[in-house]
Amino acid sequence: MEQKLRQEARALLEQNKVDWIIGFEPGSLKFTATPLITKDKNDAERLVINPFIVNNLANFLTEIKGRVGIVAKGCDSRSIVSLIQDNKVVREDVVILGVPCPGIIDLSKVEQLVGKNRDELDDITREGDKVAIKVNGGKKEFPATEVLFDNCLACEFPTPQEYDLLLGEPRPPAPNLEASGQNIERLKGISSEERWAFWENEFSRCIRCYACRNVCPACFCQRCFVEETEPQWALPVPRWQDNLIFQIIRNIHVAGRCTDCGECERACPVRIPLRSLTREMYDIVDELFRFKTGMDKEARPLMTHYEQEEAEDFFR
Amino acid sequence: MSNKKVNKKDIAKLLETWSQQFTVLAPSRESGVAEMLKWDGKDTSFLDWYRNTVVPPKASFFPPMEEMFRFQKDKEGYQIELPPSNEHKQLIFGIRPCDARAMAILDMTFKDAYQDPYYLSRRNNTVLVGLGCINPCESCFCTSMGISPAESTDVDLMLTDIGDEFLIEEVTDKGKKLTAKASGLKEATKDDEAKAKEVKKTSHDKVTRKLDTEGIKDKLLASFDDEGFWEKAAAKCISCGICTLLCPTCYCFDINDELVRGEGTRFRSWDSCGFSLYTKMPMENPRQEKWRRVRQKVCHKYEFYPMTFDIIACTGCGRCIRLCPVNWDITQVLESVPVKTEVRK
Amino acid sequence: MTATDVSHGKRFFARGNVYLPHIVVIEKIIEETPGVRTLHFNFKDKKLQKEFTFESGQFGEYSVFGIGEAPFCISSSPTRHDHLEFTVQRVGRVTNALHRLGVGAEIGFRGPYGNSFPLDFLKGKSSLVFVGGGIGLAPLRSLIWNVIDNRDKYKKIDIIYGARSPADLCFGYDLEAWGKDKTVNMVTTVDRGDDAWKGKVGVVPKILEEVAPSASNAVAIVCGPPIMIRFTFPVLEKLGFAPEQMLTTLEKRMKCGIGKCGRCNIGNVYVCRDGPVFSYAQIKSFVSSEY
Repeated sequence: MEQKLRQEARALLEQNKVDWIIGFEPGSLKFTATPLITKDKNDAERLVINPFIVNNLANFLTEIKGRVGIVAKGCDSRSIVSLIQDNKVVREDVVILGVPCPGIIDLSKVEQLVGKNRDELDDITREGDKVAIKVNGGKKEFPATEVLFDNCLACEFPTPQEYDLLLGEPRPPAPNLEASGQNIERLKGISSEERWAFWENEFSRCIRCYACRNVCPACFCQRCFVEETEPQWALPVPRWQDNLIFQIIRNIHVAGRCTDCGECERACPVRIPLRSLTREMYDIVDELFRFKTGMDKEARPLMTHYEQEEAEDFFR
Repeated sequence: MSNKKVNKKDIAKLLETWSQQFTVLAPSRESGVAEMLKWDGKDTSFLDWYRNTVVPPKASFFPPMEEMFRFQKDKEGYQIELPPSNEHKQLIFGIRPCDARAMAILDMTFKDAYQDPYYLSRRNNTVLVGLGCINPCESCFCTSMGISPAESTDVDLMLTDIGDEFLIEEVTDKGKKLTAKASGLKEATKDDEAKAKEVKKTSHDKVTRKLDTEGIKDKLLASFDDEGFWEKAAAKCISCGICTLLCPTCYCFDINDELVRGEGTRFRSWDSCGFSLYTKMPMENPRQEKWRRVRQKVCHKYEFYPMTFDIIACTGCGRCIRLCPVNWDITQVLESVPVKTEVRK
Repeated sequence: MTATDVSHGKRFFARGNVYLPHIVVIEKIIEETPGVRTLHFNFKDKKLQKEFTFESGQFGEYSVFGIGEAPFCISSSPTRHDHLEFTVQRVGRVTNALHRLGVGAEIGFRGPYGNSFPLDFLKGKSSLVFVGGGIGLAPLRSLIWNVIDNRDKYKKIDIIYGARSPADLCFGYDLEAWGKDKTVNMVTTVDRGDDAWKGKVGVVPKILEEVAPSASNAVAIVCGPPIMIRFTFPVLEKLGFAPEQMLTTLEKRMKCGIGKCGRCNIGNVYVCRDGPVFSYAQIKSFVSSEY
């Protein structure tokens, strides 16, 4: 698959069908992949497809000018479609190199299972529904579901819905949909005072790095509401109240645009369980409006129109 | 003068003794992320930690948010009240050599010209007990920045792991006062000293990531206007604040006010030159484009700071590489700065 | 540049804390143009009123408590110290709040910060050419009154000032006074006139070229919007001014005003601490081209 991707990327640039190729190349740390954004056809040799290609590359489409050949997993391709719905991306300007995704490996889960730091591991490979970890000359095997990211465990659409080229066989939805929502289920089961205390504690360590916002393809505003001074919606000071307000409003703004790619939670350096908010919003959007982000490029964005038959019980 | 040593099992007792005189801060994951927090009185599992804390120790002197002063409006006008002065003594246990060096680098800014009272009052009331690294990570490159993973002169006491025990070196007089107060310390033998020396060397050699900083200041000066290079270097950056906010030597801050019903506070909080609106003025923004901001960050640390203070504002702690959501790597960028023969202008 | 404080003035700290503002009271408000106001103020503490000194070119950090703090140059001259003045254009949160204040309102003041116009350097010159645009006259005016109040120490004075339109001309009362002063050559211009305007029409750099002041032992001091400065320097160069003979004030977004928060730097130079007054020669030698 990697070979096919490299050939295709090179051809696209050579034949001037795109100006840019956005994909992944090996990162500077073990078991890491990093975005590769290039105009040079010789860079196509560096492209990879592996269990660590975690970023949602659709994020770069609102910044790069020109025609783009972009590598997209299932969730990423839905983000691209969502951007097309929002008129931020023109379908004819992107060549979607779809990657049916078996799930991305979460290194923290691997470290916890093996009891070793990632620097001490020799290799991590995905073999079917298992993950093999080489360490200390030996090999340990785990079911893949124990080391994939939570949102990959809930993935309904691993195969890109919209693509120009599919690099691999289409994959079925992930079997373990419930396993991804453990924290959400727990939160639903406690009282609202306890929930409030939980979030106060979590957001007390937010440092307002805005990685959650900047890594998200749905957050494409040139000037984010949190940067406005007149009026000032939230103080740019990392108090838990302002941090919480920022995240709540951000969730409302990306409702109907979020594909649960999980990047916000993964990028957070202080490990705030942001997916507990975003996934819940994702499910609410599905429940209230029977809408899943990024399925139909002709559809209008959810929050920009109103159908008479829609649910109204939240109007008070 | 021989050094002392302490058994790892006695660390808790040692911290307890010190807790009587200081607020002891130690690495902890209690808050949900690894950072220096008030020691809980019993946990010493951080001694086995592989990686450094996520939040650097600068947060104990220059916190993510602090109150500069409060103000209140009454019939006579505005009354300003300073926060109570920070006289209580702190002890930070387990600070790594990279972070300790970073504190020395930060001191230069906060002491320079106008003395920053908030930072300095904390700094002057804090003692640092360093802990050497025996398992440097893949992201560490401290040895390229003039320091070593298991040695430090920027702390008051330095601990080196020699097996079941830590060798304790008294680096400053403050450090000597600390060991004087402690019980359970033994004299280190010649073997202990030799073991420590070996551990330090092994640790140093384990650092695999290298960065050649020879002439980097001049290389950056010559390449300042190479827009093509900087655009390529900045392509995958997403302009969040992680690399700067969590960098132990970064110090940019913002000042904001809040007023609620006649009472208010002026806050200082962490800020980042990476944010798109950082330098925005009403009519223009000199760093509107992302590549300018990336260039600023790299050049500030490796060119401008050395021009003013004669030291690179980076200690190779590797947090920026580890925590960047897109694995943007400053060592890769610096290695690829083009070498130009003509000097700009 | 070494990291030392180049401000020549005394340091007026409130309670020893570099960030703590003094309380000052607004005494008079002048509407220069619909978006620009000059505020006259004085320290609430009478002792400080007598002690406070500053030099032309320096700035202060002014606080509207609860809204924020912003830097503005002190636009009055140190030679007239019964009160102090600063001039504000309404562009954002803090400036809007400043415009909503009335006489008697209390605000915070920290300063004086920054370096100042080098008077000793200027005193030896045969001619001083002041070139201002719009609200850029504010820092210049402190220096102009300073020079006029010590008239015998300076020789020829040319003032060339312009704004977008007659309604945008600031400090009308000063323009009138300087126009009446026989020892000063006052030239006022607008980019676009209106029906009532009888004076010159043309952008400041163009009018400067027409006036063509001699560059021989002269110094030009230029303050205005960046675009005006960018077009004025080439004109001065054409007239024979060397980069050392051109002074200006640089403006950057500022917060702390004392060279700590990192915002206003251009390379290793902090505009708040090493500036805001720079010569064009200095600017050309900056390691960063971001000015």
